[in-house]
Amino acid sequence: MSRAYRIRVKEAVTKELSASDEVCADLEVLEILPGDQMAGLLAGQLKARGFTERDGKLLRSQDGVTVSVDPATGEVSVKTEKQEQVDLKTEKEGWGYDDIGPQAQHVRKQLSEQAKQELERRAEKQQERLQGEATEQLEKVLGHVRKELSDAVNAVTREALKQKAAQLGQIKEISEDPEAGSLTIKVEV
Amino acid sequence: MSDAPPPKSVSRFEANLLRILRFFLKPGPADQGLRHIHERLERPKCLSATAVELIRDSLAKGCVLYLARVGGWKRDRFLRDGKPNFGRLWERSPVEKLTLTFSKYAVDFLMWLTAHRPKEDRPTWTADIGELTPADQLLLFLTYDALRSDADLAATLRSSSPFGDNALLWLAHPNDFAGEVHARVPTFGMWLTEPGSFILEAMQPVLENRWLEIERTKGQIGDWAQLNQQGMIQGRVIEAFTHAVNAAGRRDLARFLLAVMSRVLASPDMPATFWTGGLQGAGPPRLAERVETQRNALVVLRAADRFRTWEREARASGYLDDDYAASKFWLGECERFDFNTIADRAQRVLQQVEPLRIN
Repeated sequence: MSRAYRIRVKEAVTKELSASDEVCADLEVLEILPGDQMAGLLAGQLKARGFTERDGKLLRSQDGVTVSVDPATGEVSVKTEKQEQVDLKTEKEGWGYDDIGPQAQHVRKQLSEQAKQELERRAEKQQERLQGEATEQLEKVLGHVRKELSDAVNAVTREALKQKAAQLGQIKEISEDPEAGSLTIKVEV
Repeated sequence: MSDAPPPKSVSRFEANLLRILRFFLKPGPADQGLRHIHERLERPKCLSATAVELIRDSLAKGCVLYLARVGGWKRDRFLRDGKPNFGRLWERSPVEKLTLTFSKYAVDFLMWLTAHRPKEDRPTWTADIGELTPADQLLLFLTYDALRSDADLAATLRSSSPFGDNALLWLAHPNDFAGEVHARVPTFGMWLTEPGSFILEAMQPVLENRWLEIERTKGQIGDWAQLNQQGMIQGRVIEAFTHAVNAAGRRDLARFLLAVMSRVLASPDMPATFWTGGLQGAGPPRLAERVETQRNALVVLRAADRFRTWEREARASGYLDDDYAASKFWLGECERFDFNTIADRAQRVLQQVEPLRIN
């Protein structure tokens, strides 16, 4: 009489997952002053907002979000990056007619293959989840970054106008209305 | 009693060839032409003198008639030696300069097409593209134009170098090359010098209508990858073509793009969904890919940036500059199409798909 053996195979895998997403755009900075001066003003504004200069670009990384601005060209990039290590384990069970012979080895091999495939599928799902999180984070921060950069560009425009006015003559009066976003400069030429 | 000469007599092969040719040149009936294309006949060693004479006659009259009908008849303004010249195509240049020359490859192609079933028989017809004259390439363009409704046949033709490297084909049907994203856009040099430039002048309305059709049907594309690829190919064609016409001092030949923008942006409040509204589902998981697809969908509007640069350069041109007349001409074209309004509208639409709009 033949006897069936229960065969159990365990597989485990550790994966380093990484996901990123990025949006690029161009800042529209009015050329009120020569380009290098406008770039200098923009760099100053961004540094005041926590950006640091590296290789001619201004960068700020916070909670996996990197904002990069090239003050010379106005190129902006907002990038989110996520990394995660996942430990995945699975166990597969089958039946064989011997516990150490070729038939058992064959069953073990099959079970091992099945387990590895399942781990791959689960890793892919985890990767998709991480990618979704990176994209979601990017979509969330875009509004804030947009407002912050718009404010910086407006501040640069105001400062450039003041400097331009000073070049034209003696500034008599400056009035700003931050609510309306207006700036009035009276210059005596 | 009539003194009319007796009808000319040709073999069955030659008769089929002539029917196919006349189908491409439009006066011939499509059903007959298509039927003969799908037939297989033994190729003779040569054609009779009568057949050659009839082919020559059909090509000469058919191609000229085609060019005259599609746009050559229009009283229009194009550059001649850097200065605008007004009139119909044959009034803008002396007729002897408008001669179309066909090489032996034109007849060889027609014989191959008559003898083979192009969809099935391999290898497909091929020739060194460098040896084809503008007239040969016009014939290939007309062939492709007549047969492109059969997607398999069109793909087979595109796989052969004389079609796949035919710049006129790329310019008129860029979206047909959307699946071949790694294919190189052929050089436009031949079409920017005479007589190729005459063909391009006459075909401006054809190009305008084709690109307009592409833009108007983009909103029906549901597949993100397809729209992305189509936009990418269009962008590469625009880039290569505008660069080439600018280098050749023939910005006037890019007028059809200006006309397309003008017609597409006729309404002041065009939404970006006119181009992207057909996209189905959430699209690619990454925001970067979704934005890229939407930007590529609007690639024709991006040509406004290039035209704005040309306009600025034209304004800066002085009376003593060599390109003064051509610059004035381009400014006139911009005014004719109300380019500044169009460019502002294009900018507004482009901004709509930008997730990081910073002004």
